[in-house]
Amino acid sequence: MTVVDDGLSLVFAALADPTRRAILERLAAGSATVGELAEPFAMSQQAVSKHLKVLEQARLISRTRAGQARPCVLEPTNLDAATDWINRHRRVWADRHDRLDAHLAALRAEQRDGGAEETSAP
Amino acid sequence: MTATGELTYRRIHRAPPELLFDCMTTPEHLTRFWGPTGTTTPLDGIVVDLRPGGAFETTMVNDADGSTYTMRAVYAEVRRPDRLVWVEADVEGGMRTTVTFTDLHDGRTEVVTHQTNVPAAYLSAAAQAGFATSLDRFEAYVAGLTAERG
Repeated sequence: MTVVDDGLSLVFAALADPTRRAILERLAAGSATVGELAEPFAMSQQAVSKHLKVLEQARLISRTRAGQARPCVLEPTNLDAATDWINRHRRVWADRHDRLDAHLAALRAEQRDGGAEETSAP
Repeated sequence: MTATGELTYRRIHRAPPELLFDCMTTPEHLTRFWGPTGTTTPLDGIVVDLRPGGAFETTMVNDADGSTYTMRAVYAEVRRPDRLVWVEADVEGGMRTTVTFTDLHDGRTEVVTHQTNVPAAYLSAAAQAGFATSLDRFEAYVAGLTAERG
């Protein structure tokens, strides 16, 4: 297991929780303090802090040192890594269907050539 | 917590469902498009015994080094032209692939490929994390986030 994969495990684990996903969505709109993040949830700041810690360990967010409030910032790099990983596994089917498309086009061309002789192929 | 994953892939093709079903179940068609990029699937490496319980096997040959990989599956459902299900028993727990063909009645057909129990080799990261919810919802979610960010 490579370091990269381990990082990805943390990302998937962090994203498996709906509250943490909601926090990330909020942070996608801009940085926010723990207090601001706790507001929309019926949750104590302490509970939100626990979620933030998981997100921080997955390096999906970072906490700035600016002042006492220490606002949280979204870290997109690891999110991109998760997207890349999913895309790699979908590509097998995507490529297969690309080739199927090409094959279907070839079949249509054959049918035109063989079936309707007065219609010239484009 | 389960160690399984799911993948869904949707695609619309300009062809009737019957032809698409035949493409997915006829060696002469399969050899033209089946193998992943960088591989070919020779005709003599394809076994299709099109009935529930019948074999579906494809041997893919790597273009670069000639190494081969054989997918061994057994058909679970064969309903031309709507639905095709096969199970790869080699994969722990059996990976099930369901392909549905929906006629859009405008000369096009939607093909939806749904895989359950996608093996750990595919989904190691997700499996380790106990991430058992639909990968697709997750993907849409991540895509939404990345769009918002940009």
